[in-house]
Amino acid sequence: MKRLWILMGFSLVTAALLSSCRKEPLNNLTQEESRIYITNYDKNANFTTYKTFSIVDSVAVITNRGDHQKALTSYDQKLIATVTKSFQDRGYTLVAKTASPDLAVNLSRIDNTYSSVIIGGPGYWAGYPGYWDLGYWGYPGWGYYFPPYYGVFSYNERAVSIDLLDLKNATPKAGGQNQITTIWNAMLRGSGVWTGANIDSMIAAVFTQSPYLSATGTK
Amino acid sequence: MKSIKIYVLLLAGVLGITGAAKAQSRPPLSLQLNYSIAQPLGSLKDYANKTSFRGWKAGFLYNFNDQFSAGLNVGYQDFYEKVPRAIYPGKDGAISAVQQRTLQTIPIMLAAQYAFTKPESKVIPYVGLNAGIAAMRYEKYWGEFVEGDDSWQFMATPELGINVPFGKYSPVMFNANVQYNYSPYKMGDITNFNTVQANIGVKIHVR
Repeated sequence: MKRLWILMGFSLVTAALLSSCRKEPLNNLTQEESRIYITNYDKNANFTTYKTFSIVDSVAVITNRGDHQKALTSYDQKLIATVTKSFQDRGYTLVAKTASPDLAVNLSRIDNTYSSVIIGGPGYWAGYPGYWDLGYWGYPGWGYYFPPYYGVFSYNERAVSIDLLDLKNATPKAGGQNQITTIWNAMLRGSGVWTGANIDSMIAAVFTQSPYLSATGTK
Repeated sequence: MKSIKIYVLLLAGVLGITGAAKAQSRPPLSLQLNYSIAQPLGSLKDYANKTSFRGWKAGFLYNFNDQFSAGLNVGYQDFYEKVPRAIYPGKDGAISAVQQRTLQTIPIMLAAQYAFTKPESKVIPYVGLNAGIAAMRYEKYWGEFVEGDDSWQFMATPELGINVPFGKYSPVMFNANVQYNYSPYKMGDITNFNTVQANIGVKIHVR
């Protein structure tokens, strides 16, 4: 009888121990839930001082494997159209890049295969081959300036980056390094960011969390 | 650290006083195994508010006499909360994410217990005090991206419980107790680690 009690007690406790492992966060995510949308902006920028914008005609595919390119898949076409419409909805007028727009929009897909790299903030890929050369916007030889945004995440897979450039205040510095400032950045990260069906909700999210991004004042 | 020193001195004192007394009905060394449920309190509750049903505690105690015992125990508890998609403002922008907030603790503590009744009682209530260190594994998931921290912290735990022998001089006892865990743990929005924990299990006097 005593033996039985010991046995029963132990089996009960062993069962409890075995069933009490940790809740595994990565197994508890849908594709939609795995994605994060990060936006950063230049606090010194007054977004109502800009009226016109232009957008790239394809999407840069940036990788660290050396096979970078500019692409225009159906995903890229939809991304360009959706971002364009979102800026128009915020009061900005789309013009050709030859019509000296106030703002320029760069679109990039990032496909790096790092496993764990701590990143100082968005914009780190601006020096990569494959990123938009400022010659595209009529500023050959200029460099990008990304304000020191905070960086939170290490980086290990596909992402989409939308960079908003301030062409209006692109005044050459005498003898110095000419730079175009990126005044807004949105990054889409997680599973399914390269899936066309997710574009609408992802772009809606980054504009919703950026109410200051408007030609007519904060939304 | 200072508290640990005081505690060790106290333990040594108990040892010295009671080392001679040996009138016992059960073998002095006992093993204990418990299943644990813990409820976070305070800032820990704001971080992860769910009651944790994923925990255990195991250890041994040595009886110096019928009333006093001391020993060592280890435990495990997993705290978790999933927060639906929300926008978290930052210094220069915002992040939209589904957050999963996790904290796992592995306390390793010295224990001292005082039993209120004689060993032949049907129910033996006791008080205990545990103090030691706890491994804290903090992981906050933003979507599928994780922000983590590992550290060791001081932890102190008063405990109140009962042992119910399965027979008058049985070496096997049912154990139930509640304990309060405190650690001056600071991480993110957590300013202190506070939990109330309930344990059920067995205590077996082996030799």
